[in-house]
Parts: sequence; C-alpha cells; structure tokens
Amino acid sequence: MNKKYGVYICTGCGIGEALNIDGLSAAVKKARKTAKTHPFLCGKEGVEVIKKDIADEGVNAVVIAACSRRVNTDVFRFDGCIVDRVNLREQVVWSHPKGDKTLEIDHTQMLANDYLKMGMARIDKILPPEPYKLDNFTRKILVIGGGITGISAAIDAAKVGYDVTIVEKEDKLGGYAAKVRKQLPVNQPYTGLVPPIISDKIRELASFPNITVKTSTMVARIAGQPGDFTVTLKKPGEMIEFDVPFPLPPEMKVDSNGKELDKDKLIELYKDYNKGKNDILSFDPNGEKFGAVVLAAGWRPYVPAEGEFAHLGFGTIADVVTNDQFEAIAAKGKILRPSDGKEAQSVVFVQSPGMADDKDFEYTGSVTSLVALKQAKYVRDDYSDGKAYIFYQHMKTPGLQELFYKSLQQDPGIFMTKGEVISVSKNGSGLVVEADNTLLGEKIQVKADMVVIGTGMVPVTVDDPVINLAYRQGPGFRDNAIFNGYADSNFICFPYETQRTGVYAAGCIRRALTMEESIEDATGAALKAIQCLESSNRGVAVHPRYGDMTFPDFFFQRCTQCKRCTEECPFGALDDDEKGTPKPNPTRCRRCGTCMGACPERIIGFSDYNIDSIGSMVKAIDVPSTDDFDDPPMRILGLVCENDAYPAIDIAGLNRLQFSADVRFLPVRCLGSINVIWIKEALSKGMDGVFALGCKHGDQYQCHFVKGSELASIRMKKIGEALASLALEVERVAQFEIAIDEFDKVPKIINDFVKLVTDLGPNPLKGF
Amino acid sequence: MSEAFKVEPDITFIKDICALGGGDLKKCFQCATCSVVCPISPDTRPFPRKEMIAASWGLKDKLIGNADIWLCHNCGDCSTKCPRGARPADVLSAIRAAAIEEYAVPKSVAKAVNDPNKLPILLSIPVVLFIVIGLLTGLLNFRPAGDVIVHSNFFSSWLVDIIMVPLAIWSTAIFAIALKRFLADIHANAILEGKTDKKKIDPVEFVKALIRIIPTILKHEKFNECTENRERATAHMMVLFGFIGLFIVTSIFFVVMYVFQIHGPYSQLNPVKWLANISGLALIIGSALLIKQRLSQKDSVSSYKDWTLLVLAFGLGVTGMLTQMTRLAEMACLSYTLYFIHLIFVFYLFAFLPFSKLAHLVYRTVAMTYAEYSNRK
Repeated sequence: MNKKYGVYICTGCGIGEALNIDGLSAAVKKARKTAKTHPFLCGKEGVEVIKKDIADEGVNAVVIAACSRRVNTDVFRFDGCIVDRVNLREQVVWSHPKGDKTLEIDHTQMLANDYLKMGMARIDKILPPEPYKLDNFTRKILVIGGGITGISAAIDAAKVGYDVTIVEKEDKLGGYAAKVRKQLPVNQPYTGLVPPIISDKIRELASFPNITVKTSTMVARIAGQPGDFTVTLKKPGEMIEFDVPFPLPPEMKVDSNGKELDKDKLIELYKDYNKGKNDILSFDPNGEKFGAVVLAAGWRPYVPAEGEFAHLGFGTIADVVTNDQFEAIAAKGKILRPSDGKEAQSVVFVQSPGMADDKDFEYTGSVTSLVALKQAKYVRDDYSDGKAYIFYQHMKTPGLQELFYKSLQQDPGIFMTKGEVISVSKNGSGLVVEADNTLLGEKIQVKADMVVIGTGMVPVTVDDPVINLAYRQGPGFRDNAIFNGYADSNFICFPYETQRTGVYAAGCIRRALTMEESIEDATGAALKAIQCLESSNRGVAVHPRYGDMTFPDFFFQRCTQCKRCTEECPFGALDDDEKGTPKPNPTRCRRCGTCMGACPERIIGFSDYNIDSIGSMVKAIDVPSTDDFDDPPMRILGLVCENDAYPAIDIAGLNRLQFSADVRFLPVRCLGSINVIWIKEALSKGMDGVFALGCKHGDQYQCHFVKGSELASIRMKKIGEALASLALEVERVAQFEIAIDEFDKVPKIINDFVKLVTDLGPNPLKGF
Repeated sequence: MSEAFKVEPDITFIKDICALGGGDLKKCFQCATCSVVCPISPDTRPFPRKEMIAASWGLKDKLIGNADIWLCHNCGDCSTKCPRGARPADVLSAIRAAAIEEYAVPKSVAKAVNDPNKLPILLSIPVVLFIVIGLLTGLLNFRPAGDVIVHSNFFSSWLVDIIMVPLAIWSTAIFAIALKRFLADIHANAILEGKTDKKKIDPVEFVKALIRIIPTILKHEKFNECTENRERATAHMMVLFGFIGLFIVTSIFFVVMYVFQIHGPYSQLNPVKWLANISGLALIIGSALLIKQRLSQKDSVSSYKDWTLLVLAFGLGVTGMLTQMTRLAEMACLSYTLYFIHLIFVFYLFAFLPFSKLAHLVYRTVAMTYAEYSNRK
C-alpha cells in the first residue's frame, strides 16, 4: 500500500485552549507529514476537509487528533483508508491542567505531543485488513439435543430459511418436556399449570422441510472451524475411528519424578491413549458439513451420593424422593407413596439441604422453586383435603412466574415458609419433618406422607464433553469448572457464547431454566448461530470484536514449534500438527491477540495490530533525560485493555478527574496480547515504569477474552524475574485491575504507581 | 433445644377467615411491612406479621386465643401499606369475628348471628316472643286508653322486664363462660410466646389493671394513635358514650320505677331526660358518621358483621328518639309502632351481644387489661 498521509487536529472541545496547536503542527512537520487544524472536526465542514483531501489528493492514511476513538466512530470512518485516532480530548485536555507557560516543563503539551507521535508511528506500520475467506462455506446449523430447547432453536433457525439438523441420542424427540404431568404456565395469565406443550412443538417441527431429525444419534466429532465444520455422527455406544481423541491427562504427561516427558514420548503416549481413533487433523471424508452449532443437550437430574442428605432421610426412607422421582410418580397418575402405595395427602417440599447453611441444592436456580410450586399443585389437584408444605431458603419466581406463585399462594392447602429443615424421621407409617428458623417464629414439626427434596438439574457437560470437538485443546470446554460445569463463558455478559466460537449453548446446559425460558434461550442461541454464519462468510470476527476483518498472521519460517500459542489460545483456535507447528483456524478466532502476546519469536501479528506497530508507538514516546532538563519528568508506559480500562480512563476524563501527565497510555486488544518485548523496549529506552491495566481475572473474571488478563498476570510475574537480573526493580512493572465502571479509581491507580516509580528513582538506563 | 411446635393446619379455619372478610390473607409474603407501619404494635413480638402467617397456615389455636388480635384497633394502616394487598387489618378483624364465634356458646347462635340468611329468623324471635308472652299475660294492649301517650299502657314495663332482665342475665352468663376460657387461653398463649413474665393471673392485680386501663379506653388513647383512625375515633367515642349514657339512664329508670314506684315518661326538664336525649343524639350522630365513613371507605372490606353492628346502633338511637318525638307530637299509632320496633332492636342487642361484633367491647377491654397486667411490651 502506497500511503499518503493526512494529519488532522481538532481544536474544539477545549483542545485549542489547553494546547499549543502550532507546537503540535510542528511535531507533525518534523515527521514529514502535513497537519491541518479545524475548530470543529467532527462537524460537517470538518469532515468535508478530510473527505476532500481523500478525494483530491489521494490521502489514505489518516491521523485524527481529536476525541477518543470510542466516540464519533461513524463520523471518522473513511472507506479504503486506515485511520488512527489520537485521543487529545478525554485523555489529555480533559484530564490534565492547561500547561503553565512560566514553568520550564509543559507536561500537558508533552503528553499531547507524544500521543500525536505515537499515532503517526502506528499509521506508518499498519495495513488495511484483508478478510479471510473460507474455501468451503456451509450455512447449515447443527442442533445437538432434541428437547424443548433444541426443537425451538431448530424451528427459529428454519423459519428464517436455514437448513437445520437435530441430533438426539434418545430414540424420540421431546426430552424431559415429554415426561412431565403438567408444566409451568407459558402464557398470560400465568396463573395455572398447563398440559405439556412439547407435542405441539414436535408437530410444528415436522412442518418444516428444511429441518432434518436424527434420533438415536450422537456427535462423534466436530472438526474444522465455523462455516466449515466436518461432523461425524454415530449411534450411541458405537466405537468408531472418528470418535474424538482426548488429550493426555496431566498425570500421564510426566514421568515418575514429576518431570515433563519429551516430545516424542508424549506423541507416542498420546497415540497409544487414543488407539483406534484418527487424529484431529484427519477429516472424515464422509462427514457432514455444518456452519455453526447450537448446543442444547440439556441436563440430567441430580443423583444424590450415598449418604448425602441422610438427615433428610434420603436413601433410607422410601417416601423421601427427589423432585424428579416425584414428577415420575405424578406423571403416572394419582400421587401415591412409594413405600405402601397409599395416597400421599400431605407432602413436604424441601428446597434447601439446611445444615446451618441457607444455600439451595446444587444446580437449582429458580427452577426448583417453581417446580416445588408446580408439584404442590399436583397434591392439591389430586386430593381436596391435600396439604402441601414448601420449606425454602429462597423462593425464586422470576418474571411473570411471580403471578403463578401468587395464584398458588391463594390455595388454602399450600403452606410456605422460609426455614431450615433439620430432619426427616419416620413416625409410624408416616413421616415427621422438623424445621427451624421458620417464619412462624419457632421450631416446627409437620406430619407428612411424603417428602420431596428439590435437587437440581445437572448440565450434561458435567459428565461428558458432548460437543466432541476435534480441537487440539480437547473435545470439551476448557475451564468449565468455574461455571460449575455449565457450558458458559461469562455468567453475565455473553449469553449463549461458549468458550468455542461457532458453538452456542441454550437451555439447561447453560443454566437451570424453565421450559418458557428455554424456548426464549433457544431463540437467542439460534440468532447467535446465524450471526456466526453471516460473519464467517464475510471473513469478519463474530464476537466480541464483531466486524473485525483482521486475523492473526503467522510467519511460519521462524516458528520454533513451542506450542505456546496453541496452548494459550482461550478459544482453542489453533491445532498443531505432530511437529508442533500451529494450524490456524481463523473463523474460530476471536482476534484477541493472546497468541501474539504468547509468541516468543514474535511471528504472529494482525495487519493493524502487531509487534512492530505497538513497538514503534513505544519508541515514539519522548523520554526526557538530564540532557533536556535538570529534573526530567518520569515516563511511564500504561498498556491498557481497550475493553474496560480504556473506557474507564475516558470516563474519568469526561468527569474531569485529573491524573499524572507522566503516563502514556497505549490501548491493547486484550492484556493477553501484550508481548513482553514491548515492556523490554520501553525500559531499555529509559522509561521508568510500565503497567498493564485491565479487567479482573480469576473465577469472577470480566475479561472479554476469558483468559487474557490472567495470562498477562502470569507473564508480568515472569518478566519481574528478568528485570531483577537487569538490576531493575521488579516494582517497575505492574498490573492493575479495573472494571469499566470504576472510572473513579483511575486517578488513584495511576498516581500511586507514578509515586511508587518516582520513589524508586529514574531508570538507570535512561539517556543511553 | 426447645420443643418443636407441632403444626396441624386447619384448612376449614382458613376458609372461615376468608369468608369473614379476610379473603386476601394468603397473599401475604411475610415482608413485615404491616408490623413496621402499625403505630400501636409493640416492639417485641409485634403484630400483625406473625398473625398473618399463622392465619395462612390455618393455625387456629395460635390466633383465637391470642390477646394481640384485640390490641389492634383496626385503623387499616397495614392494609394501606401492604405491598401485596393482603389486608392484614381485615384479616385481624375476621380473626376477631372468628374468636367471638368460638368463645360464645351456644355455637349455633353464634353461627346464626354471623349469617345474613338467618337475619329474618333472628328478628322474628323478639316479635313472636313479645306478642305471645304479651297476649298470654295480657301485658300487651293494642288499644291503650287515655289521651296522653304512655308507652307502658301499650307495652307494659312488666312485659319489657320479664323479657329483658332474663336476657341481660343470659348475656352476662354467656360472657362469663366465654371470658373464663378466653382469659385462660390468652394467658397460655402469652406464656408460650413469651409475651408475659406472669405465671398466674392474680385477680386483684387484674382488677387494678382494669381500673388503670379504663381511662385509656374512655379517652380512646390507643384508638387515636392509629393515624388512619383519627376521624373515626370521635364518632366511635360518641357511640360508646351514647351507649354508656343510655345504660345509666335505663338503670336509673329501673331503680326509680321499682324502688320509688315512679313511672315515666319523665318531664323534659328532668336531668335524667337530658342525659337520655344527649346520649341518644350522640349514638345517632356517632353511628351515622361511622356509617358514612364505611360507605366512603374503598380500601377496606366491610362485611355483614360490620354492617349489622352499625345498623343496630343507628337503629336503636333513631327508633328511640323517634318514639319520643312522636309521643310529644301526639302521633299515637306511629309512636307505639316505633316503640315496638325499638324494643326489637333492644332485644337483638341484649340477646346477641356476646355473639356479634359488639362483643369487642368486652373482649378488647379484657385483652387490653391483660396486656396492662402482664406487662406486654
């Protein structure tokens, strides 16, 4: 690309008053580029100036020194041009005082100068992206699971014209929805139980010619990448050569002394471990092609371990059952006691295991509250004098199900109280339930014919990978334990997104949901699958960097086959071959750059974001030394996550919070993409400190890319050791956490670090 | 470890409370807003939150014999503020009606008094009694002689007392039986719920407590604490004082007639007559105001028991006053008829007092006395 530069400085929004614009223009001139200023660059006339230059003079590399790149994105988008936004407003003039001309150093002006130079350095090094196009692209959607969620997702996708295949491991469709006596209301007025709606759904499903149903079928493996998955199906229980291979468990990777085995030995062991199975890189020639997957494999009832809930009599008293067992009894007819077949006129529903803890049973959510209400209604429907008691710690009836709760409350034979059930014991042929801390103000005893314990719905991903992805990182979702085994990637921010691009979870595999919620969930996942297809086909990222046309490019000649990129990618986008050379799968990629941060050879980069572009920005920062000033100011590099930290800093500026002008912020896609070479460059250049500012990591992480900030923290620790060997204090490099709404913490984090570095004194390498 | 309370929900009781005007009781979700907003609820074991769950669990024993339901003066603050529309005030009111029904014997009478369908039968009892006894004894004269209207010429004072005196004794007896059980129950309940430090009820101390509480009742002090009740307090006080005044007048009349053999009607200048007229007016105006308030009240339930009491008080006052006025206006026929009706009201008042809402006069007094006695805080 033959670049023709144009630098535009806006003087509006207080920039002109706070800065010496001529000084900035001079800096641009020094870089042999021309600067134009405008008092209102985002206005119609201002944009016209840029457009005219593009049209008349062929400008195609535009640097806009104005407001944050998070605003006016549409205004400053010019097709065919690469654009860099220099943030003079939020991060310079709004967050720093106007320079005092009487003083020797104008800190604010120096900050603006540096940012402008960094912007120009970047634009020198980046190229416009060219989208990655798949050779074969398939629009078909695979739905795993033929329960109410899977059926609903299939119908939703089929309605808008997509071909869908449902695979169901049972011999007929319907799942649990077909096994219940009645179900919770799904429509106004939400006051009573309704007959199961699953048969209507199955009938509706049959009316779509573009839906294929495969019962008694399961997924043996899913190979390839979104838009071009090769799927091998099989009968349950079958062993075939395209069954997915499993990675070696950690204990097999080491010898008896705990030392990691060598590469060849590992390959040998791996082959042995997966005998009879083809490697992930050999594709099934008879495999079926799919573009995206909706994972709706659902749940199984929680099975208490032996002796678990002994205080509730479970396992020892026949008339103490789980809610799932009770549903099966109710579905057969009148509610009768399992022990002697007598009518169960008085039933106690226990919603929490008690034991001095107010936690509900595991894997419950709001569903078990609602199911207890539903089953209480069965008792009342079956017996006019029936009594149903519900002992809960939390009565969760979200949304309009509150109306159902209210209507059941009105039933004179349903009794509810918060309380801790202490024991269930036998009393003659009946049972006695004792509970403490009830709303009745004391310890109480209730006579019962049956006791039902509100155990949860275990997502099937707890037992089995289910999706059986032929990925080098393994067939299932990694780090699923922090989601209690649910197929999820973030509890709040990204519904339906799993840790694997192109696989979208819906229904009870994602969270304990009612059938009504599952139907809605199915729509969400179907839409996500469609979004995936309609992005992959254009070579753009799906999520969370939707529309990003770049993708990681590898300079394979220099690859040392260290496998770090393959292992660290949070989304399993890379599959390495036997030698360890990574095989990229661009449509699996979310463009976080974690691979780029991991690569010790620095051979991975994006067209507009790479080792060189960021490194050049670092180099563009002026580091004043004693040659320039008697008491030169500190220079600190802040590598900030553009998803949380960068917005937080902008908002701090918007609120006119002031912080040190000695820090130069450099936005990164994710802290995971930080390559330590940038930190080394900054320090060897004489900068006094470097910090990374990003989102929270750990079990409650807020990282857009799941593992990025966590990986960064590991790498930061490692670089600390290297610093010590250079006689630099480890404190000069740090990582801080911030959430997008914690803008008020920005000044303290920055100023505290500046103070810490100032106390350490200037970098001894300065000036060399 | 404390002994666990054995819960035996009584579904019939729940249905009864619903029928008596507490139909929303099951809507309660135990947030305790009611107990917080109640201006007269005590700080420890406050009502009506605990009564609400006891009611929705059908725990009859915890409610009927609970003095707290009588400490409530039914202002309705709780119903207004209840986020779920469970109307605790109406629920307590219904529980009180159930308690009256429970303690009064015979039960069948109590059932009949609270059943609108039985009203014609209840009203026909005095009519039949008056006519049958009157005709048998000859004390009822449908053609009273003389130019001056003297009601006893038509309906002999003897006849009135033959019927009314035993009736008063019957009422008192029923109350005595009921109160014995009632006191025992509320004491047992207070001990169980830890609302008292007293082991036994000491009669002397109890009477002392009664004397201490009477000014509170007369001045409507508790009643006035209820914010929603301010307006109603005056009207209620008028009705109460009207009844008290008329009770005094009747007693004086009774003594004067039997001891001094002086018969009515008294002169309008007689101070007793003044008291009678003032009390009668207070009763009429007070009850009329209460009726007006109930009619304009949209946020609380008015049930049959409420209306019977109000109509009874108003009817008593109006028929009494009109009887006197028509006598002075020398409208003989009308006056005698009104007198007959007035006596029916009086009969109803005496006969069904222990079974009707009016019994609150006795129960609430006893409950407030007990609270005073037992140091309920």
